[in-house]
Amino acid sequence: MVSLEDLKKEAKQILKENKVKYIIGYKKSTNGLMPVPAFIKEPEEVEKLVWDPTCVFNLTRYLVDEKRRKTKEKEPDERPVGLVVKGCDSRAINILLQEKFINREDVYLLGVSCENTGVLDEKKLTKKIKGEKVKKVEFDEKDNFIITTQEGKTKIPAKEILANRCLECKANFPVIYDVLLGEKAKRSIDNPFESIEKIESLSTEERWTFWKKQLDKCIRCYACRSVCPMCYCDECVADTISFAVTADTTAEEKAQKIKWVEKSPVSSENFIYHMVRAIHLAGRCIDCGECERACPLDIPLRFLNRKLEKEAKELFGFEAGFDPDQPSLISCFKDEDPEDFIR
Amino acid sequence: MQKVLTKKSLPQWVKKLLSYTIYTPVEEDDHWNFVATDNPEDINLDYPLTTLSPKKIIFPQREIFLEFCDSTEGNPEVKEVLPAEKSAVIFGVRPCDAKALTFTDKVFGGDFKDIYYWKRRNQTTLVGISCNTPPYTNCFCVSVNGSPYSKEGLDILLTDLGDKYFVETYTKKGEKLLNLAKGLFKSPTAKDKKDLEKIRIDSKKKIKRQIKNIKKIPPKLKEMFDSPFWDEESMSCLRCGICTYLCPTCHCFDINDEITSSSPIKGKRIRTWDTCQFPDFTMHSSGHNPRPDKASRLRQRILHKFLYFVDRYQNYQCTGCGRCISLCPVGIDLLEVLDKVRDYGS
Ligand code: SF4
Ligand code: SF4
Ligand code: SF4
Ligand code: SF4
Repeated sequence: MVSLEDLKKEAKQILKENKVKYIIGYKKSTNGLMPVPAFIKEPEEVEKLVWDPTCVFNLTRYLVDEKRRKTKEKEPDERPVGLVVKGCDSRAINILLQEKFINREDVYLLGVSCENTGVLDEKKLTKKIKGEKVKKVEFDEKDNFIITTQEGKTKIPAKEILANRCLECKANFPVIYDVLLGEKAKRSIDNPFESIEKIESLSTEERWTFWKKQLDKCIRCYACRSVCPMCYCDECVADTISFAVTADTTAEEKAQKIKWVEKSPVSSENFIYHMVRAIHLAGRCIDCGECERACPLDIPLRFLNRKLEKEAKELFGFEAGFDPDQPSLISCFKDEDPEDFIR
Repeated sequence: MQKVLTKKSLPQWVKKLLSYTIYTPVEEDDHWNFVATDNPEDINLDYPLTTLSPKKIIFPQREIFLEFCDSTEGNPEVKEVLPAEKSAVIFGVRPCDAKALTFTDKVFGGDFKDIYYWKRRNQTTLVGISCNTPPYTNCFCVSVNGSPYSKEGLDILLTDLGDKYFVETYTKKGEKLLNLAKGLFKSPTAKDKKDLEKIRIDSKKKIKRQIKNIKKIPPKLKEMFDSPFWDEESMSCLRCGICTYLCPTCHCFDINDEITSSSPIKGKRIRTWDTCQFPDFTMHSSGHNPRPDKASRLRQRILHKFLYFVDRYQNYQCTGCGRCISLCPVGIDLLEVLDKVRDYGS
């Protein structure tokens, strides 16, 4: 497991050398099991940092905020932001680079490898330890987590409490970084699309029943959108105000603005919202699983994104997040692409 | 009225209530939710907190106000739509969630009485369950003038005494439910009353989270409108709808005309929940937004709950249910924010 002390040392160093304006990492939460985002400005604050398999959040999402803040500043601080990234998070960085949303010099990446493991699923763990307070989470050589609570140590097979995304992770070490902590060791997985194949095997009617039930639960809190590093549009089709009003906009134009998605959380609108989002993430989603984790109603959003990921791979040999110089899936075509009608 | 009911007789009681729509907490996927049922065996009172509070029944996320149709040019037909006349009983309401309804009662019951809200409120009977152990890790009702056995907003309160429930009724609506199955309810013995007392004292002690000196918070907030504090605290906020949509006391809404046909123009006027955490909540049609960033939105959430509402209704607009804390996807902890507010600058 990556040593926290090494991470702190690197973080302290770059802050001392004024290489970064601040570092986004993880710190202990005051209210629960999972650590929360930490924004560290001073070298002394580095002591707050934590790193272990409970560091679930994908912090690259905050680069979107950073960019928005920067555009508003008159004399922006041009130094990069230091960012702690796991394997999946680093793939998100590659997408943001590929789409030129950020420049390479905007970030200083403290890559941490999950080294054969991954991060925990809070709900799965809570069920196992039944409300006890977790003091320490470690990993052993034999694919087990060792959880220390006030009751002592419990050994739990990794498979039972790993986050779903980690069970299907393509590379559980950073693929882009400035410093790499830990080994580039990959967890062996039998079938990266195992979960989605279960859904694919259902009949059309069964799939409809499944999705209708799931998406009818959606309350359109948009946490899935807000937590996603790829959902960075300034205006989203799902919002009521989905076009810019300027001094020249006429009343008629305002009245005729297109409402793509109504605010009512009913099947038709929920489906449109989720379909639009899924399509807009095709070839971009790097499966950090954050949308699914954030959803308060446990809607299995990863299935939607994974399905499109699988199509992209099977039809176009495309995998998102490994190469920042690769053209994006939606905006390019190759001669060998299967759809003849495109040419 | 004080009675006891054996646990075995609970379904028999519910059987007598089937002319009402019955709601009970049900486990769905990985969370709990209030769901309508007509099977008395479904009633489950041993459950953690539901993700959505019973607010979703009294003040639903989507409410149709009226339907319109302009088939004859210039002479549109408008039809008012009111909630269906159907009495309902919600079983298993947590005391914090029932208390929250006493707040929305004030908001929707001021000079203008919201008929949609009141129709549902008046035809719904709330059967609460005391929290003998806190159902949620972030419960803190005691800090905001509440308690795990508060009767505020409830018609009936049940307390689990092992093999039976201690039953207390506080309203005529509540008594009516008991009268529908008179034979099932017995008078409590002296021991039942003693057990109840003990459980209550213990239940308060079991609540781990708290805010100290909460009284200092409203005056402090008054001075903090322009403080850089909000920028710092909101750094990790995602501006999603979780903390407000799931809060039992939050009540902001939006009204839209949803068009279902453009020729002839047909549609519905619909009220839906809205939240101060969404960027378009305060967006003017000019494009100007007086609450332009997440710092101003977090400030609004805290100030509304712990300053404006206190000024207007002499109570915190928070019942300590802990949902916004446990379910915030980035772990923003209301209690930590309030602790910092109280100690700010000292
Ligand atoms: S997080 Fe869940 S409930 Fe919220 S909008 Fe997304 S899918 Fe719907
Ligand atoms: S869609 Fe979900 S899994 Fe994919 S990048 Fe966005 S938050 Fe991560
Ligand atoms: S505080 Fe948490 S739940 Fe509320 S808007 Fe921010 S991220 Fe969402
Ligand atoms: S503010 Fe948070 S703790 Fe208070 S009632 Fe609302 S959701 Fe519950």
